[in-house]
Amino acid sequence: MTDSTAGTGTGGAIAPPDPWDPLVRVTHWAIAAAVLANGLFVKPGGTVHVWIGWTVLALLALRLAWGFVGPEEARFTAFPPAPRAALAHLRSLFRGRPKEHRSHNPLGALMVYAFWAALAGVTLTGLVMTDARSPVTIAEEKAAVAAGDWSVLANAGDGEKNEAMKDAAKEVHEIMANLLLILAALHVAGVAIESRALKRNLVRPMLTGPQKR
Amino acid sequence: MSAPRADLSTGGRRQSLALALFLVLQVTAAVFFVGDALADFAAGPDEPHSLFEGLVAIALILSVVTGFFQLRHAVGRMRAQERALDTARGELARVIDAQFSGWGLTPAERDVGLLALKGLDVAEIADLRNAAHGTVRAQLTRIYAKAGVSGRAQFASWFVEDLLQPRDTDAARQP
Repeated sequence: MTDSTAGTGTGGAIAPPDPWDPLVRVTHWAIAAAVLANGLFVKPGGTVHVWIGWTVLALLALRLAWGFVGPEEARFTAFPPAPRAALAHLRSLFRGRPKEHRSHNPLGALMVYAFWAALAGVTLTGLVMTDARSPVTIAEEKAAVAAGDWSVLANAGDGEKNEAMKDAAKEVHEIMANLLLILAALHVAGVAIESRALKRNLVRPMLTGPQKR
Repeated sequence: MSAPRADLSTGGRRQSLALALFLVLQVTAAVFFVGDALADFAAGPDEPHSLFEGLVAIALILSVVTGFFQLRHAVGRMRAQERALDTARGELARVIDAQFSGWGLTPAERDVGLLALKGLDVAEIADLRNAAHGTVRAQLTRIYAKAGVSGRAQFASWFVEDLLQPRDTDAARQP
């Protein structure tokens, strides 16, 4: 009878059987794809870029709301920002014996908040840069300009103050976007290191959800 | 042992994943639509077109909120089910353990009894325990005697009957 509980290796007792719920998984991979697409592949300022940006805004809103009412390990209370605990976790990682956590580990939690802050920064500055025009409107305006109707450009540039703000937003937008890519690289490295230390594949539960014991 | 359990929960999992995907699509659509409706309202709030768009936006947001709580409920229910199954499994193990103690089985008899409950025949049990067939047969006979059952089938059904009991009495009580 003991064979059903023993032999799962380290962490089986504390790690949840179903670590990430579907909403966390879907938003995680969708945002990852969006960041990679907009950061590396899609032409900045194009309609597709704006489409993706708006989608990220929606995904972020959904995930943050889930942080209040979702299942236990998806909630903010399961991974409060705790820099001191994060440092302790880093030390234990170097010693090769990190503790198991039911949700994000303290270091991962800081990463998550950094991601969310950067995502909010990128999308909101993006909205400032485009006057919060929806991608549909932008596409329509582009079509109009292409057809020879330049009137839309005339009322777009209004006032010096607005221009200055847009320049500042552009600056922040680019810095935040680069920061996001750096964070993503750090995140992947962190997951790899943590997986090795815990001798447990941490990517699988985010991809397919639970694995039957 | 784990196969039916996996079957039971895959359906729920697939359902909640579909619900999550649907929710993401909906909320994305809602953000675009609300953005568009706001822009239209800024341009000319009195137009019937804008009013209708506003109505659709509200409906969309309501359905997003509904889906949101539905998903939460589904995830919660699925986890509760899994917990219950785990508990039931642990409970059965405990029941068997307690009963074996009650019957006064020796450690060797406990092992053999458990293997017999799992459906192994004499040859397989003998193989697993590196024992002679005769030994296992003798152990089984002693187990059946201690349990007061006539044979293997009755021995196995002893615990199943125990599990089915409350349900039968429930059904009997209801009419």
